[in-house]
Amino acid sequence: MPGSIASFIIGVSSIFLAYYLAAVGHGLMEKSGVLNLAIDGVFTLGVAVAFAISVYTFSVPLATFIAMIVAAMFGLMLAFITTKLPISHGAAGLSTMFLGYGLAALVGLPARQLQINGRSLATIQPSLGGTWVWFYVVAFAVAVGIWYLVEKTKIGAAIRAAGENPASAEALGVNVLAVRLFASGVGYALIGIGAAVFELAYTQVWSQGAGMGYGWIAFAISLSAGRHPILIIISAMIFAVLDKYRFLIAAIYNLPPDVGKMLPFVAAIAAMIIFMVTPLRRKLAPPKSLGKIYFREERSV
Amino acid sequence: MVIVRRVKPLPYWIIPIIALLAGIAISVIILYVLMGASPAAVLSAIVYGFTRPGVVAKTFVALTIVGIALLVSFKGSIWNIGGEGQITFGLMAATWVALFTALPYINPGLAQASMILLAMVAGGIWALLAALPRAYLGLDEVPVTLIMNYIAYYIVDILVRGPWLGKHVYNYIRTDTIPSQVMFPQVPGTTMTWDGLFLLIILLVGVWYLLKNTSIGLRIKILGNNPNLLRSSGISVPLMVIVALTISGFIAGSVGALYLGGDVYRISYPVEVHTANYGYTGILVAWLSMLELIAVPIAAYIVSALYTAGIQYQILVGGHLGQLITAGSAIVDVFIGSILLMYTILITISEYKIKIIVKKR
Amino acid sequence: MAAEANNAKPTFLSPPQEGKEPIVSLRGITKRFPGVIALDHIDLDIYPGTVHALLGENGAGKSTLVKVLYGIYTPDEGEIIINGRSTRLTSPADAISTGIVMVSQSPQIIDTLTVAENIILGLEKYNHFVPVTKVYKTIREESKRVGIKIEPGIEVWRLSYTQKQLVEILRAILLGAKVLLLDEAITYLPIEEKKRFYKFIRQFADEGGTVVLITHKIYEAMDVADKITVLRRGKVAGHLDRKEATIEKIRALMFGERSAEITYERLPTAQPEPNTVLEVKDLWVMGDFGGYAVQGVSLEVKEGEVLGIAGVAGNGQKELIQAIMRLRPVIKGKIMYNGEDITRKTTYYLRINGVGYIPDLPAKYGVSIENSIIENIAVLPVYSRGIINWDKIRELTLKLIKEFEIKTPSPDTPVKFLSGGNIMKVLVARELTVATNLLVAYNPTRALDEATAIKVRKIIKDKVLKNKVSAIIASEDLDEIFQISDRIAVMNSGKIVGVFPADKAKREEIEHLMVM
Ligand SMILES: Nc1ncnc2c1ncn2[C@@H]1O[C@H](COP(=O)(O)OP(=O)(O)O)[C@@H](O)[C@H]1O
Ligand SMILES: [Mg+2]
Repeated sequence: MPGSIASFIIGVSSIFLAYYLAAVGHGLMEKSGVLNLAIDGVFTLGVAVAFAISVYTFSVPLATFIAMIVAAMFGLMLAFITTKLPISHGAAGLSTMFLGYGLAALVGLPARQLQINGRSLATIQPSLGGTWVWFYVVAFAVAVGIWYLVEKTKIGAAIRAAGENPASAEALGVNVLAVRLFASGVGYALIGIGAAVFELAYTQVWSQGAGMGYGWIAFAISLSAGRHPILIIISAMIFAVLDKYRFLIAAIYNLPPDVGKMLPFVAAIAAMIIFMVTPLRRKLAPPKSLGKIYFREERSV
Repeated sequence: MVIVRRVKPLPYWIIPIIALLAGIAISVIILYVLMGASPAAVLSAIVYGFTRPGVVAKTFVALTIVGIALLVSFKGSIWNIGGEGQITFGLMAATWVALFTALPYINPGLAQASMILLAMVAGGIWALLAALPRAYLGLDEVPVTLIMNYIAYYIVDILVRGPWLGKHVYNYIRTDTIPSQVMFPQVPGTTMTWDGLFLLIILLVGVWYLLKNTSIGLRIKILGNNPNLLRSSGISVPLMVIVALTISGFIAGSVGALYLGGDVYRISYPVEVHTANYGYTGILVAWLSMLELIAVPIAAYIVSALYTAGIQYQILVGGHLGQLITAGSAIVDVFIGSILLMYTILITISEYKIKIIVKKR
Repeated sequence: MAAEANNAKPTFLSPPQEGKEPIVSLRGITKRFPGVIALDHIDLDIYPGTVHALLGENGAGKSTLVKVLYGIYTPDEGEIIINGRSTRLTSPADAISTGIVMVSQSPQIIDTLTVAENIILGLEKYNHFVPVTKVYKTIREESKRVGIKIEPGIEVWRLSYTQKQLVEILRAILLGAKVLLLDEAITYLPIEEKKRFYKFIRQFADEGGTVVLITHKIYEAMDVADKITVLRRGKVAGHLDRKEATIEKIRALMFGERSAEITYERLPTAQPEPNTVLEVKDLWVMGDFGGYAVQGVSLEVKEGEVLGIAGVAGNGQKELIQAIMRLRPVIKGKIMYNGEDITRKTTYYLRINGVGYIPDLPAKYGVSIENSIIENIAVLPVYSRGIINWDKIRELTLKLIKEFEIKTPSPDTPVKFLSGGNIMKVLVARELTVATNLLVAYNPTRALDEATAIKVRKIIKDKVLKNKVSAIIASEDLDEIFQISDRIAVMNSGKIVGVFPADKAKREEIEHLMVM
């Protein structure tokens, strides 16, 4: 076991927050019906942007902010093309993923070169000065805020309506495009912040491909918690511990370390199956029109 | 802005061409803005890629096969994003035959055939595991196949780090190199292997026949367009889902064997870093083909040429950004991403019209 | 009579009303879809304080017209004038803000949301971040005022069809609707409920509101409308004032030159043979939302006989038909086909043993419109197992195209390029060919225009007579039931409540049993 409970909690705080924000952002976006397969590419790009800006400006807030803005732009773009045009969400998402991977390398490499030549990187140190406490405060505030927004307010109802049945939502007076832009913009802003936290607080190093795969873990975390902002706290915590301490856990139980990497993904599939076959289905199953092409003039009968 | 359906769709081959040109244009701009790459150098790399069939051949064969594999399930509206996992499982099975059986020393020909066949079976099984919850629980196959890619990687990682760790690998974490008897022979003057070429031809003809002349092919096509008709005709929809996805994984799995026997000759840890990503790139190929079998090799050629162009650019400009540059793959990603995105967006205009409406209030 | 009807024709613009400006005017509205002009230069004036019925048979373009008015469809040409101002409607939200609200046949409100959530979505006076509970009080008050009992916090999936339509109306009122578009919104309600809605519509108009009532049932328009506009094939066939409207005039406008073909006479009957082809014994089947939709149904179909099942939609006919076709599990009871127990057999078994099936909503369940005619025929397991013999199937397809007069450029044409009537013929032709023993059908002519519907019924009946095939046909259209059946069974709340020989059955009695 790690030294003490306190150091344990401090240790996972940064990866927990990174996962949490990205997973909640993903869930918010998908609640509005936009299938998000771009997450890993944009997360990777967010990591590279945070790294590069931090190297160039030595400012953590600025690096986080720019990562957030860049990610949010991708969210808006995805929501716009999938809602305004009758196109495949899967194709739009995956192509954006590739673009994200490519751009990430192009953005990160020059900064990395500077770093090798002696420039340093501004980072957040979660173990010092109680910063880590704030990580949890932020996570819980976001959890409650997003939950309230989605479940209790008018725009939350509109988001769910757009995810269940955009044609009906439109007929009920919802501006589906605006709602999806909002959900995806905010969702991706959270993903961008998550990526910045991942880079600046968790790994604090960068090489080509940094962050790849972690977007998919956030995706898996979100799905395994039925996209519910409060339940995601639990699954993000589990996956954070698995990531942070996988070598330790593997050593203790004498398992190969890759088992730890695999577990989040297995858990995600298991959770999805459970949601489909149990009464949880009504609350936690995916929105009915998630990823469905929306064309207003579609034949309705 | 309002979208309405065209009364008459545009001819279907126009869009891929426009998308290709638009995607390349966007890539050139991105590369110029972000790394100051001269458009002329990028374009000459692209020309290089398109004019070297011998160099492109290896990638071309792999991508055509994955494209065919995905086409089968896409025809049934089963979105198999799990090509990567199925290929990885195929890689695992082929490695087992090559390293842990005596077959390579007894009968090399049979061993090579077994590598391919077993790889296909392994890929099929991996796809089947995703097909079952889709068929019987209605679980969306997109996240499931995608997530299963990672599970497949880690299973192989566990093997490579554990029981399959090679004896003659210095300090690397990887398997031993396969015996030379099962290194697939190359077609002279090209990067592809005879095994790959034969397999490609067999699969093209086989899938063509399957889709054209068999009830399974017809049913897959109807599954994609209206599964309700299958149901009311008395044909089991879950069964067809399973068949479509399993055939798809079965074909994709073979690429794992080609990758091992004709390219890398061993598995290096971690496999997710050393993969050629054919499973993902194959999605691009299948989409660009508009799900027409004859267009799959064409789309595969375009994509593999661009792939080669990315690598070539790096060689041409080498060292431009410092020694640590491995930007080749990044350039490929930018190409693929922008072309596929353009294609996805533009494909709508073949069936839909965009109208701009100015509101007067 | 036909001559009289033709006199009504020249009035292409409804006559202006003294002292009133139209609240909504359409000028030259045109909308094209692939293969069809759904609206062809429509001109229409709608005046405040009136109930204006839009009549037309299936496919005439009524729904397209209201969707244009509600901002869902963008017209290709033409102008919409609201309160004297030319207006572009690009979304329902636009329409709502000018006071136009639509209620359609299938409820738009979303099942997983609560009543209040559904309603608040269109209410502009609430900002985006208010809690939904803010609207509860208003909903309670307003629903009391119009005499509906609805709890704002309840999720919509718990409501019945009628309750959902009530919520839709309530929503329209809360949105401050000045023009209410009812697209077959009450057509499928039980009689009693319908009467309540009539009263409400009248009152709404008397208070100065405007109602556009869309229907394909002539009597519905006659019951409440002040003005009637008839659409035919995307064009205005004529305008009538309620006072001058008669059923004959309306029919002539609706069906045009074909109105002579439209008869509801019974088709010739055969002498049924004594042996039983299909027998259902004490059948219990679950519905989609839990609960038994079929409750102890027993019936028999003799060789060469057509058994019609009459009933209002949602009384278990769908589930009964699906259970017979083995598309829905049987909880209790037995189904016998040719003396063999098929309760545990599959659809596949029936389909290779001479059973034809025409499902409800044929374009959705009976054909695949993206596939060609020939593929739509080949898909049946009797024609394709293993390797397909395309030559044989092509021959068969060509034969059917000729025999059933299917209008198509070639057998390889995707079905989506055919007209609705020809799509239906593809399905009927295919199913009658495999139905060497029994035909099972549900609403076989819904969505067809009347003339084609009658033609299809004749084809079916012909086949039954000639080849001694039996048929069980459920339909929500009583005219169809009377026209085609040899015996009529009435279904209500999952039970058979009466069986009559068709030649002796009384319409009033059957109607009464249907809604009892
Ligand atoms: N969204 C659509 N896409 C293509 N064709 C359509 C669409 N909506 C209606 N149509 C066609 O337009 C015609 C008019 O349909 P509709 O307005 O629904 O008729 P009605 O409501 O009078 O029965 C029909 O031929 C129908 O098939
Ligand atoms: Mg209609």
